[in-house]
Amino acid sequence: MRMPVVNFASRRPLVVPALLVISGLMSSCGTTQPEYFSPSQSSVAARKMQARVYFSVEEADVMSAAAAVLQDMGYTIDEVELPLGVISASKRANATSRMQAFGSLTLDSMKCAFTFLIACDGERYGGIDDVQDIRLTLVSMPKGDGDVTVRVTIQRRIYDKRGRLSEQSTISDADVYESLFAKLSKSVFLERQGI
Amino acid sequence: MNRYLLILVPMLVLTGCASQNSVITEGDSQVHVRQMQTRVYESLDKSETLRSVLATLQDLGFVIDTADYEMATITATRLQEYELRVTVTVKDRNSHQLAVRANARVDDQLIDDPATYQDFFTVLDKSIFLTRHNVD
Repeated sequence: MRMPVVNFASRRPLVVPALLVISGLMSSCGTTQPEYFSPSQSSVAARKMQARVYFSVEEADVMSAAAAVLQDMGYTIDEVELPLGVISASKRANATSRMQAFGSLTLDSMKCAFTFLIACDGERYGGIDDVQDIRLTLVSMPKGDGDVTVRVTIQRRIYDKRGRLSEQSTISDADVYESLFAKLSKSVFLERQGI
Repeated sequence: MNRYLLILVPMLVLTGCASQNSVITEGDSQVHVRQMQTRVYESLDKSETLRSVLATLQDLGFVIDTADYEMATITATRLQEYELRVTVTVKDRNSHQLAVRANARVDDQLIDDPATYQDFFTVLDKSIFLTRHNVD
C-alpha cells in the first residue's frame, strides 16, 4: 500500500508561509530572560582588582580616610552608612577626547564642503562625548583580626554634546582601581598621622 | 466611516489613560510576588546579613545608591547596556530567622521571573557563607 504523501507546497500555496509565520511567532514567545544575577566567570578577577586589605586599622578610620580621598578627587558624597561601612559618591566630569573631536570636526567639514554648504549640520561633532557622570561605592568589611577589606565599584554614564546618553558601563580598567587604592593607602597613612 | 471614528478615538484615548496610570500600582498577586522575592535564613545577625548583601551586590557589579542599617534596606544600580536597579530588605521573621527580600527592575520593566530572583539568592547564599567564615 502506498503511503499518502502530503505536499503542502503544491496543494496549498499558503500553507508553507502560514506554518513559517506560526513557528516564528511561537519561537518569539519563548525568549529567555537574560541572567541578570549570574556572577560572571571573571568575578574572582574583578574582586581582586576592586578590593584591598588594610592591616591593623579601625574600620571607622578607613571610612574617614576614604571620605577624605573622595573629596581629594572632587567627588561629593551621596550616601554614608557607617554601621554597614558604605560610602557612595559621584561627580560630573569632562569626557571630551581631542582625537574624537578632531576626527568629527574634520568629517563634518568635509561633508559640508562636498555638499556645497548644504549639509553643514555638525552632526558628527554633536555626537562626540561631552560630559560623564561617575558614581562609585566604597564598602569596608572588617575581617575580624583587626584588618579591613575595602572594595570599590565604579560606574559611569557618558553624554554627547547634544545631551544624549552615549554610553553607560561599569569601569573595568585595573589602572583606575590601582590609582584609587594608591591614594586611599596614602589617605589612611595621613589619617593615622592626623594630617 | 465617521461613526467608526467616533467609537475608535475615545477608545484609544481611554486605553492610553489606563495604561499610563495602571503602572503606578502594577504588580502580580502580593502573596505570589513576596514568595518569589523572599528567602528565609536561619540567622538573627542583621548586620552580618546586610554586609553579605553588600558583598553580593558588589560581586554582581552594582554601585550602592542607599544603605540604611536601621531600616535594613539597601538599594543599588548596575549600568550595562541596560540599567538594573535592585532594593534588598532584611526583616526579623521570628525569634530565630531573618527574611531577605529583593525586588528588581531593568530599565522600565519590573523583573517578575522567579529564576532571576533564584539566581540572586544563590549568590547571596555563597556570600553569607563566606562572610560567616571570614573569607575574602
